[in-house]
Amino acid sequence: MENLKPDMKPDMGGDCGYKCGMLPMCAPLATSWVPPQGMNPPMYAPEEALTRGTLFPGLDLPFMNMVNKSNPYAGTPLGELMALTFMVKELQLYLDTHPNDKEAFKAMKDTLALKNEAWKRYVKMYGPLTVEDLEMSDKYDWLQGPWPWEYCERSAK
Amino acid sequence: MFSYIKKLEYPVKIANTNPALAKFIISQYGGPDGELAASLRYLSQRYSMPYPELRGLLTDIGVEELGHFEMVASIVHQLTRDMSMEEIKKAGFETYFVDHTAGIYPQFASGTPWTAATIGVKGDTITDLTEDMGAEQKARTTYDNILRMSDDPDVNNVIRFLREREVVHFQRFGEALGKTLEKLDQKNVYFMNPSFDK
Repeated sequence: MENLKPDMKPDMGGDCGYKCGMLPMCAPLATSWVPPQGMNPPMYAPEEALTRGTLFPGLDLPFMNMVNKSNPYAGTPLGELMALTFMVKELQLYLDTHPNDKEAFKAMKDTLALKNEAWKRYVKMYGPLTVEDLEMSDKYDWLQGPWPWEYCERSAK
Repeated sequence: MFSYIKKLEYPVKIANTNPALAKFIISQYGGPDGELAASLRYLSQRYSMPYPELRGLLTDIGVEELGHFEMVASIVHQLTRDMSMEEIKKAGFETYFVDHTAGIYPQFASGTPWTAATIGVKGDTITDLTEDMGAEQKARTTYDNILRMSDDPDVNNVIRFLREREVVHFQRFGEALGKTLEKLDQKNVYFMNPSFDK
């Protein structure tokens, strides 16, 4: 994953840098334009992305510069799974508007492989996350364990 | 179709009971710029979208908003699940409590029940995407205001995550609108409605 965290110094020079996007040279009047994010943008590592709420440093625009230093499940199997799932979600939204970014699609495939491994490890330890996961169960254990809104210590281990 | 994943998108772990915070955070559950409104707005608008990237984006963001709906409920639940009658009275939570006890009900902070009157489905591509950009900004402002009022670090950790998602969604809707404009007549992008005039 190291290659996903390139030099993150904002470059405001000729190519705009990752904090800016390019508007069309000529655009129709009476419309709203948001500068599109450039291709192959720098990305945080999965856990940092989850904690910050975005995979992309260029879009990381906190209120009064208050930022999360960590999240409550960081370093746990569930935290790892959440981070990888979140990275897939962020890449999905990015690819919806940048479907030709080959690097981002490769990152999506690599992340999915890691996520699927983490998912299986989690389900083996703590039980099913979806009804399909019951294939790995030896009894109907869908009802066991905490529900997502009931935080308890076990779910984070 | 939809199927359930038994986990949150981002962890909600709140140590202290605090119905005073729940009183206004409930607005992001069922309020005018809340997560239920966001989800139903996007998941309803997608049917008249003319291009695959718009159908995809509205689906994918609408589904994420349902996950945020669950996260805000988890915050309110954890702030109120163990509250005592004394805490209810001290927080001024009686008006909610008398109708809903410690249940989670989609309403504005002011008590108005969730209403579809707060969302728009105009059936016009530019109009709907422009509404969506405005909706993300309104939700971001609401989260900014929650951060101004809440002094609970466990709550603020989740709120900062949710707030940042609004920024990312605004960017994606803006990019989607740009892609739409590029497909239209550059001399008059309002010549027709690509959602209706095929």
